[in-house]
Amino acid sequence: MNNESEMLPSVQVADNPEKKSWTEMEDSVRQRFLSFISPVIFLVIWEVLSRTNVLDMRFFPPPSAILVTMYHMIISGELWADLSVSLYRILGGFVLGTIPGLIIGLSMGLFKPVRLLLEPLVAATYPIPKLALMPLFMLILGLGDMQKIVTIATGTFFLVLINTVAGVINLDKIYLDVARNFGASRKDYYLTVALPGALPLIFTGLNLGMGMALLLIVAAEMNGANQGIGYLIWESYDIFDLNKMFVAFIMISLLGYIFNVILNEIERWIVPWKQ
Amino acid sequence: MEAVAAGEKNMLRVVEASRAPAKVIIEGLGKRFKTRKRWVVAIEEVTMTIREGEFLCIVGPSGCGKTTLLRILAGLETATSGKLEVAHRDSAKPLNSMVFQEQSIFPWMTVRNNIAYGLKMRRVDSRIRDEVVERYLKLVGLSKFADAYPHQLSGGMKQRVSVARAFANDPEILCMDEPFAALDEQNKILLQEELLKIWESNRKTVVFITHSIDEALVLGDRIMLMTAHPGRVKAVFNVDLPRPRNIATLRTNPGFHKQFSEIWSSLREEVNKAKADEGICT
Repeated sequence: MNNESEMLPSVQVADNPEKKSWTEMEDSVRQRFLSFISPVIFLVIWEVLSRTNVLDMRFFPPPSAILVTMYHMIISGELWADLSVSLYRILGGFVLGTIPGLIIGLSMGLFKPVRLLLEPLVAATYPIPKLALMPLFMLILGLGDMQKIVTIATGTFFLVLINTVAGVINLDKIYLDVARNFGASRKDYYLTVALPGALPLIFTGLNLGMGMALLLIVAAEMNGANQGIGYLIWESYDIFDLNKMFVAFIMISLLGYIFNVILNEIERWIVPWKQ
Repeated sequence: MEAVAAGEKNMLRVVEASRAPAKVIIEGLGKRFKTRKRWVVAIEEVTMTIREGEFLCIVGPSGCGKTTLLRILAGLETATSGKLEVAHRDSAKPLNSMVFQEQSIFPWMTVRNNIAYGLKMRRVDSRIRDEVVERYLKLVGLSKFADAYPHQLSGGMKQRVSVARAFANDPEILCMDEPFAALDEQNKILLQEELLKIWESNRKTVVFITHSIDEALVLGDRIMLMTAHPGRVKAVFNVDLPRPRNIATLRTNPGFHKQFSEIWSSLREEVNKAKADEGICT
């Protein structure tokens, strides 16, 4: 039987592990070096321009000074206090938006009546900027955490929902035929066809939703907050402490990066069949 | 009792009733559906009896409603007229399992989980399930790839998984819709051999659709020929070739060629008819 010869090379590599050749090794080192060197050069230029007053130091404090401020904020615990409060709101809103987004999205994708019923509603409410809804949430929920969590949840909800629906609808119809022919129950339709099949697009939705959550946290902490990364930015604005503001920028950038890495890791783990 | 399209002048052999009990009785089955503009008749007045343990091949010009008939048999579509009776003798077993023409194994499941799918849906005890899956993995030569995902497999291997998934489900009837049509010649022969091997060991009732007379002769006990659009039963042929069949030696059998030309002369008319009204049925 010629099974082996039919295999694609990706699996043969696992059977027959081979060291990377030297030129490939050099290539990968070179690539890593290039992507590492660009931010470093950027920071050095910034430092020099700021120190030589080409850049206005009041608006663009030198990176070294920002790092010192960050160090003090870490030591005093101030940074962690802000960060943990924001993390709680971001993750709370993310989970609160993702779960109904997934469930409603899968149902809309799988069952046409559900889709026909809800589609106009989604189409009508999705374009409303979530920031426009914030005053409403503040009136209903007050100025506490819940208002911020709900604001973030609405943002992630729509992105997860829309991508989940697309993920299920784009599935080849044959998989539904197979499920039906093999006697799948309603639960099996969700768990063995719709959910795994839509996962690649669901992760796109999660990634977009996470970006939306970071955007909304800053706005949500603008009013009625006395802690959080967003609050830190507005407070630095009020007291004209740009060093702290830049520390907050770094934190948001870092959060975005870390969430992205985590989501990609999870995706690699639960979507191993995606090439 | 074998009802064959009556008055068909090209019918070469009226099949005699067999001793095996009837498994599927199809009587006057028809299917119409509405497209945007008009009603289309996919199949019409199909009458046929399929016997227990029989390997029935259905041949016909493309667009004649072969697939529609099979999908009705498989419960994926409903007929608009006529009667379909299937003898469901063992209620523990599923009525039918289908092997589809196109890529139909789940890309998100390993080979093992794909083959186990029907058994899982039926909530079969996991110990029995594992045993059955192991056996079919071995039968289709994929034991080494049990934990691979479909994207790591070739087309032939994917179709082996699809065949194994249907057989492992242990249905009363196997419905196969041109399962090897997308494969290259060499793989097709390999899979035909494997299918014969598996079938000869468990003698399930198989309904196999193909557009290839060759394939139908190699595999089937009987061949049902369908007319061009709308699909009706034109003739039923007994395949007299001895079993177990060896595909290599079969082609040198003089009976093979005689039957081939018999069936082809009948099929040719339908193919020409189908060509004449091409565009009406796709």
